[in-house]
Amino acid sequence: MAEATIVGAALVPGMPHVLADAPAPSWKALGAAMREVGQRLRAGAPDVVVLLSTQWFTVLGHQFQHHPNPRGTYVDENWYAYDYGHLDYDYPVDVGLVERWATETERDGMQARLTRYDDFPIDTGTIVAGRLLDPDARLRVAQVSCNLYAPADALERVGALAAVAADAVGRRIAVVVVSGLSAGLIQRWITPGEDHILDAGHDRWNRRVLDLLAAGDLAGVLEQREAYAQAASVDSQGRALAFLAGTGAAGGRAEVLEYGPIWGTGAAVVHWGPSP
Amino acid sequence: MPAATGRVSAATDTRPARPAAAPDTRGRIVAGYLAPHPPHLIYAENPPQNEPRSTGGWEILRWAYEEARTRLKERHRPDVIIVHAPHWITMVGHHVNCVPKPSGRSVEPIFPHLLRYRYDFETDVDLAEAIVDEASSAGLVASRMTDPGVRVDYATIGALHLLNPAWDIPVVSLSANNNPYYYAEAGLEDMELLGEATRRAVERTGRRAVLAASNSLSHLHWDTEPELPEDMAHEHPYNNHQYQWDMRLLELIRAGRTRELRSFIPEHIEQTAAEIKAGSLSWMLSAMGWPEIPGDVLGYWTVIGTGNAVVEWDAQRHG
Repeated sequence: MAEATIVGAALVPGMPHVLADAPAPSWKALGAAMREVGQRLRAGAPDVVVLLSTQWFTVLGHQFQHHPNPRGTYVDENWYAYDYGHLDYDYPVDVGLVERWATETERDGMQARLTRYDDFPIDTGTIVAGRLLDPDARLRVAQVSCNLYAPADALERVGALAAVAADAVGRRIAVVVVSGLSAGLIQRWITPGEDHILDAGHDRWNRRVLDLLAAGDLAGVLEQREAYAQAASVDSQGRALAFLAGTGAAGGRAEVLEYGPIWGTGAAVVHWGPSP
Repeated sequence: MPAATGRVSAATDTRPARPAAAPDTRGRIVAGYLAPHPPHLIYAENPPQNEPRSTGGWEILRWAYEEARTRLKERHRPDVIIVHAPHWITMVGHHVNCVPKPSGRSVEPIFPHLLRYRYDFETDVDLAEAIVDEASSAGLVASRMTDPGVRVDYATIGALHLLNPAWDIPVVSLSANNNPYYYAEAGLEDMELLGEATRRAVERTGRRAVLAASNSLSHLHWDTEPELPEDMAHEHPYNNHQYQWDMRLLELIRAGRTRELRSFIPEHIEQTAAEIKAGSLSWMLSAMGWPEIPGDVLGYWTVIGTGNAVVEWDAQRHG
């Protein structure tokens, strides 16, 4: 097992509504909680943020962002008509850690690909998380895609290899997974004040999972992952939590800073690690 | 900005004023194509618009598209190609691209090593807007997408390039409010309503239209790829179950048993995780009135294990 220095971890939503100029109460609270978690993670002085966003989903192998400085504007293909649908990004990538992580992934028998292309579209979730967790974009990022055709335990192994690679190259890391909980979306244009969790059953499942995380039972969540995914249409079938478990960054009790709806989906801000 | 919703106004349309579309009895859908979009097919062709280079591959499907191109230009001669694509994923409602001249470079996030494509085409904005209006009238959530900053996705580019690499026919592109990967809620019933709305818009605007349903069939596939992506030694159906169900669907299509096909589609989706779950095929056949005419299967083969067929329904010939 790797002995990488992990300063903390977080689960945050990737929907851009948390950046809205006129947010719903839950969007505002979630955004504030993300800022708070960002401060906590930065207080641990990590060298790099190990990141997985379910909105960068892929289907062949595991792609690692290898561009040293992704920079541009992403126009979200669904939310383009809102103020939060145009997202600027400009952040540094820890190329050395990424290369080692990809090498470790290949060495473990999985397929890894370095992704280094100008104009590569950075996904909404990655940008939203960066804007709130690290507003000045000072922290370097090491990011892998979310392969939706790979089993969840493969993502767990990829997470573990992030810690192995960080240990090998001597990085202090924070781990961030960007994912929603239940993914039942309200299928019409709403005003912010109309937002609510789409389905009461989804809400119950989300709360049950958050309670388990708060109790330090991520393993228990993973045991129920498939049932949860089925019952609550969970974002990417809960692969982000599997990845998080693999890193070893979420072994203890979590603090659930906020939970609420974003356009019907379940969203939560959860932190693992020392509080200030 | 209306604070109640947080929406911002759409980009201003600076096009010269065009006369309002008048009803025209010439307006009709002359043909429909099942037009799968794997980026591998563009990559294999090495067109000038695409940056990566290949040594070929997937020829059976590409030859099928060559035949479709000939028929499109020589037989159908459409005013417009309307495409419904599953990788313009919209979480809320059906969106129609109303940008007059979409252009840019589409680096595909799933297959960036295969598709980095420069696109530049003309939208039939009057028809696009008419489809939104008709869909809204039918009770669907429908939106005009007027933001030129939205990247055109690979399923739209794939089907349109493969049918018409010259891009010299105006286009209308529709999003998928349902997709195999993500927030998948909308059902096929909505796609059928969208198809009917598309037909009414075509008739109302007097267009001679060809439809393109940008879908693969069976959709289980490998989660890794060979070192050489076009190494055809690795290309075969994911398993025999997937293949057999694709053949059952294609037999119904070839026999023109379209009413049976309509009820078979949900079963095929259930059995094969088919990409037609995204609704493109149901949208197209609904727009064509579920015609009891044989579909001409121009080619079938797999791409990374998924089933793909190029099929033509010629509404004129069987009229």
